[in-house]
Amino acid sequence: MLIKFLFLIIILSSSVSYGQLSLKDLRVNAAVNNLLRYGNGYQYTGSIKNPKEYFENLTDAKIKINDVEFGIRYELSDSIEYGLNFKGIAKRYIEYDHKYGISVRAGNFWEVISRGNSLNLFEDRTLYYDTGIDGVRLTYESVSENTNPLKIKAQIIGGNINFRDYLNPERIENYKLRNFYLRVTPLKPITFGYNYVHSNGELPEEGIVTLVKSDVNEGILNINYSDFQFYTSYVYKSSVITPNEIYPTPSTANGDALYNSLSYSKDKFGLTMEYKNYRFDVTLPDNRSNTRPSRMLPYQNPPTAQFENNTVLTSRNPHVVDFNDEVGGQINFIYAPNDKLSFELNGSIASKHYQYEDIDTSSVINYQRIERGNSWLPDMSNAFSPFWEIYLQAENYYSDRLYGKLALVFQNNVVYNQIIPSSSEIIKTMTVPLEVKYSFTNKYTLTFVNETQWASNSINIGDKNYINQYNSLTYSISPILNFTVSSEFTNNEDEPTGKKSWFTGDVSYKLNESNTFGVSYGSERGGLKCTNGICRFVQPFEGFRVLIATQY
Amino acid sequence: MKKTALAFLLILFLCVNSAYSQYYVDFTKPDLDGNDVSLSKLLEKGPVMISFWATWCSPCKEEMKKMHPIYEKYKDQGFTYLAVNQDNQKSISKVKSFINANGYTFPVVLDLDKHVFEDYNGVGLPYSLIIDKNKNIIAKHLGYITGDEVMIEKEIKDALSGKDSKEINKDIKEESK
Repeated sequence: MLIKFLFLIIILSSSVSYGQLSLKDLRVNAAVNNLLRYGNGYQYTGSIKNPKEYFENLTDAKIKINDVEFGIRYELSDSIEYGLNFKGIAKRYIEYDHKYGISVRAGNFWEVISRGNSLNLFEDRTLYYDTGIDGVRLTYESVSENTNPLKIKAQIIGGNINFRDYLNPERIENYKLRNFYLRVTPLKPITFGYNYVHSNGELPEEGIVTLVKSDVNEGILNINYSDFQFYTSYVYKSSVITPNEIYPTPSTANGDALYNSLSYSKDKFGLTMEYKNYRFDVTLPDNRSNTRPSRMLPYQNPPTAQFENNTVLTSRNPHVVDFNDEVGGQINFIYAPNDKLSFELNGSIASKHYQYEDIDTSSVINYQRIERGNSWLPDMSNAFSPFWEIYLQAENYYSDRLYGKLALVFQNNVVYNQIIPSSSEIIKTMTVPLEVKYSFTNKYTLTFVNETQWASNSINIGDKNYINQYNSLTYSISPILNFTVSSEFTNNEDEPTGKKSWFTGDVSYKLNESNTFGVSYGSERGGLKCTNGICRFVQPFEGFRVLIATQY
Repeated sequence: MKKTALAFLLILFLCVNSAYSQYYVDFTKPDLDGNDVSLSKLLEKGPVMISFWATWCSPCKEEMKKMHPIYEKYKDQGFTYLAVNQDNQKSISKVKSFINANGYTFPVVLDLDKHVFEDYNGVGLPYSLIIDKNKNIIAKHLGYITGDEVMIEKEIKDALSGKDSKEINKDIKEESK
């Protein structure tokens, strides 16, 4: 009701002001995006092959009249690749921007406050993840024409989030949210920020709704001086859980998080360090369900503080960040001695804060935490489910025609089994990705990619050691065409589908500046897909896919 | 039936050569040193190529490496290559060290909340637009293929000489024949 009222106010205000303008003062613009995805083939669940067909079409349209913009998204997903079918207007909004730094938006939107530790609303359709809000956002930001060095941004957000559990799309958590953000830059190098979120959540579980009232406070400091940049954020979360049949005693779940980053760079080299100490809900091993009401709230999404892999094999088994209980960080070093050659070195490390022991000598499990004084540092013992990664890369433009990139990646990830420690999953990999690109002329280019991975998995029933390999060959004609054939092999006897090889061909063609058409055919291995630390297992697929992207 | 009709309509759209209805939107964002960079102020000097990119996007980094010498070549004529960063919270801390280590001299602004990307209808990376001094969008590119910089340089030269989008499209089609 409030949103409809605000729609009316914005339209009336703009109508009144336009009443004073002649038609020649009206500036009307429109833009449309359309994304069509279609697939037909088979999807694997384990070794079982099931027919799979999906059709998804998203149309985003907007029209701007002077300072007022209207937008809608029409979605036709029937049937959707992953999630629940939908047909109709999925999003709509109206926004007013004033030249003196005030903007008002009513309807659907996403928003991130600073680095996302207290509020980070985003959408990722491949994960079926959407924490978009339906509400109102009022923002004031001081304009740059002012000679006063003091800069201020203030923002108020209010609305509802209907968060579909991306692992169980039938389950919806509802949050009524209020957010206040203030950012002050008294002098150019230094910025202070404060964010406060209050939410009333309704979390369904086994047919019973749990009411959770939460308050999140975040303090932010950013110093950007010369070649240095330092950022720190501290968040404190408090959730009050109303008792019900599942949680019979009233409880308050408090947690906090500290995130720091420091970077130093000059011509030819750059160094970045990140530290994370996330304790939003440090809890016993038998209480770590993804739906527990004491966990970090879905509208929060802090930095992962680990290397983001962008090669096929190294991104297939990523470390799944536990924002409720994880400490660690990364260090990244870039060195570019000239404009043709560059090196990158990255080290990432993370673990849980504590280990636990079962103190009950009977058959009942009763965990107790083993305290340690340096829980602000990661521990590489298996009981802490540690993760570490080292990434080394060299790339060189040998000439205008020839480019090469070679990397060496070591990954080690432990998922500790508290009940039977010898059954803990320990995955170790060493991967060598290689890319070579040769341009015959300015228009025609051939790119070859090879990745070889030596892996071991401690819980494999068959041979614990195995090799994965990925190859692709791409022929490109600038600016219109990409044609790629790719293959993947494994000798892993525990591969869920039982397959040992996958082959795919795909073509991407630009019909004109606004339309891109893509089609692929073959088999895809599947695996873990992650965005911002949120992960979902994507099932292997065999068949063909079509993608048409249009922008007007 | 509905799907067939929708697919047919889409095919019709695809066959139409589009004039750019994507419209100009001014913005002011901080650069890597915290200074405000305003698009309208850059356009007072000459055409601007807005390039949306991220440190995790390999084609974006390749485009940037190829565009840097082109920017150096035409910047004294008023051209600006404006790199609008789309890294989110997981990689934003590496942006300054990446740019400084590679010695890039063009302006780089941070769009952490993706408002500029949304204003310009971005759907994927890399994505770039060329805007002339009269605030008309005269060229647009979604994706990057090795060799695209040749066509982009032609578009920049045409923008500097005052040609509009129709004339630029005509020139490019004639060259590709």
